[in-house]
Amino acid sequence: MPAREGTYGLLAEFDTPSDLVRAAQQARHDGWRRMDCYTPYPVEEAAEAIGFHRNKVPLVTLVGGLMGLAAMFLLETWISVLAYPLNIAGRPTYSWPAFIVPAYEWTILFAGLSAAFGMLALNGLPALYHPLFNAPNFRDGATTDKFFLCLEALDPKFNLVEARAYLESFAPVSVVEVEY
Amino acid sequence: MAHETYAKTLPADLGAPAFVDDWKTRALMIGAVFSVIAAGLAFADGSIEHVLRAWLLGLMMTFGFSVGGLAMLMVQYCSGGKWGLLLRRPLEAMSRTLPLVFVYWLVIVIWMKKLYLWAQIDGSKAEDVAAALKSGLINEVQAHAIEFKRPMLQPDMFVTVGLFCFLVWAFYTWRLNRLGLERDKDSPENTPMWIKKFENISGPGIIVYAITMSAAVIYWVMSLDPTWYSSVYGLLFLVGQGYMVLALGIIVAVSLSKGEPFKTILRQTEQHDLGKFAFAFVMLNIYLAFGQFLIIWSGNLPDEIPWYLDRIRGHWGIVITLDFIFHWLIPFTLLLSRDIKRNKKRLVWVCQWMVFARAFDLFWLIEPNFKDAARNLHFSWGILEYVAVPAAMVSFWVAFYCTRLKTRPLVQTNDPHVAEILEAEHAHA
Repeated sequence: MPAREGTYGLLAEFDTPSDLVRAAQQARHDGWRRMDCYTPYPVEEAAEAIGFHRNKVPLVTLVGGLMGLAAMFLLETWISVLAYPLNIAGRPTYSWPAFIVPAYEWTILFAGLSAAFGMLALNGLPALYHPLFNAPNFRDGATTDKFFLCLEALDPKFNLVEARAYLESFAPVSVVEVEY
Repeated sequence: MAHETYAKTLPADLGAPAFVDDWKTRALMIGAVFSVIAAGLAFADGSIEHVLRAWLLGLMMTFGFSVGGLAMLMVQYCSGGKWGLLLRRPLEAMSRTLPLVFVYWLVIVIWMKKLYLWAQIDGSKAEDVAAALKSGLINEVQAHAIEFKRPMLQPDMFVTVGLFCFLVWAFYTWRLNRLGLERDKDSPENTPMWIKKFENISGPGIIVYAITMSAAVIYWVMSLDPTWYSSVYGLLFLVGQGYMVLALGIIVAVSLSKGEPFKTILRQTEQHDLGKFAFAFVMLNIYLAFGQFLIIWSGNLPDEIPWYLDRIRGHWGIVITLDFIFHWLIPFTLLLSRDIKRNKKRLVWVCQWMVFARAFDLFWLIEPNFKDAARNLHFSWGILEYVAVPAAMVSFWVAFYCTRLKTRPLVQTNDPHVAEILEAEHAHA
């Protein structure tokens, strides 16, 4: 864990997602790695621009869904065939068409819960504190109409003066230094 | 604003690229080859019985593309969205293939008596039904159903309802297509008026489409078995048409993007959106199909269940299992993947598969209606007509569709979405 003091990074503010994406692409191209984009809605190009990588949430969701499917289908089979075999209108006890709907519902339920909790487990949320909220323009704009690129101090290339000059070359609305 | 500098501009020539003519030539050649094969098979089989059954399948495919395209055109006018602008002209072109579908339908009208049991017996006379029952042509259940449905199931009504439906579809096709061109000629200040106008035509049009399309499929396909009925039948075909029209729309849009103007306007975002939309139809389709099955299976009533037994027993179980895999499992699992939806080549493969799966589903719906095939899946030269005839009909339809595509610019210019679709992706939420 790095010491939680000093500069967290430099935060550049943009008015449009296109400007943000251009800046992020250029920064990645110029060798920056410890950086992040913050947008009021998902901008996939921004994620790709800073080296989007795959996570395990889809896998967790798939496994969860299959577990839900298997659990309910087996539960229904166990109930109808072994535990309480009832004669319902002369149908076989193993009447799979009737099992489909609950099994399907459980697939959705388990997949949904796995996706939500898997996402939380893998992305570190909920986080009680993030240094970026120290910047007033971030607090006001990040969830409404502003687009931010943050170059983090952890990047080996980071130098307060040069990084500021570098960000200003993208003609952002502002560049502010963010403290831990 | 800064990001306008990143926007692309529309090419000067918005007409269909020249390679559409190559598609047409290829489609005509494939159509000719399959026509010869179909004729050869009919000769080997010694009857045109299966040609007509397969013709009905080809009619339902092309009818789905044409009238389903019209319906999707109306949906996108009501819903708005950049995917709608992208597909607007391809969908308009689909709707303008209606004359060919009408010609295909006339063949069914001419040979109605070979296809439809109720047409072989003049339902308007009670003694004819009794005579047919006595001669063993129909059984008691069928006699009862034909008697009961007498006002509906007779040749005159078949033709009247069909003609009426074609008139309605032709009206909407003509109106929407004509106004589409007028809108482009008008000045951009009037665009809000045009948007409203198209909404006002399309909204009621979707309801009219749902009713007329249900009537048509009930006459053309469901009445092959006069005893059976299902209230979700029209909706099943409606969803099926959405399924195949979106698949075809994606194929057309991606294939057109090898040249201008689609090279400029097809963005990955809209392609992804269309993939998601197609996925929704895959889900809705199995939802309705399985829902109908579950209800009839649960009820297990003697006037409903034979329809399914005809389609499950006697090796048809293999076909329905494959149908489930082809029609739902494969598109569902593939379209779940984000990468496939965003990959042009793979998405087109999935969509081509979906068009095939729809035809396979129609085979399962149509063939077991006939006495020789119900609960008895067996090989004859005739059954291969289900490949040859629809392949030829759809190929000729594609050739005709290519000529329709060429008749007007491929992008509607008088629309606020044009500016947005030219911007870099995700410039707007």
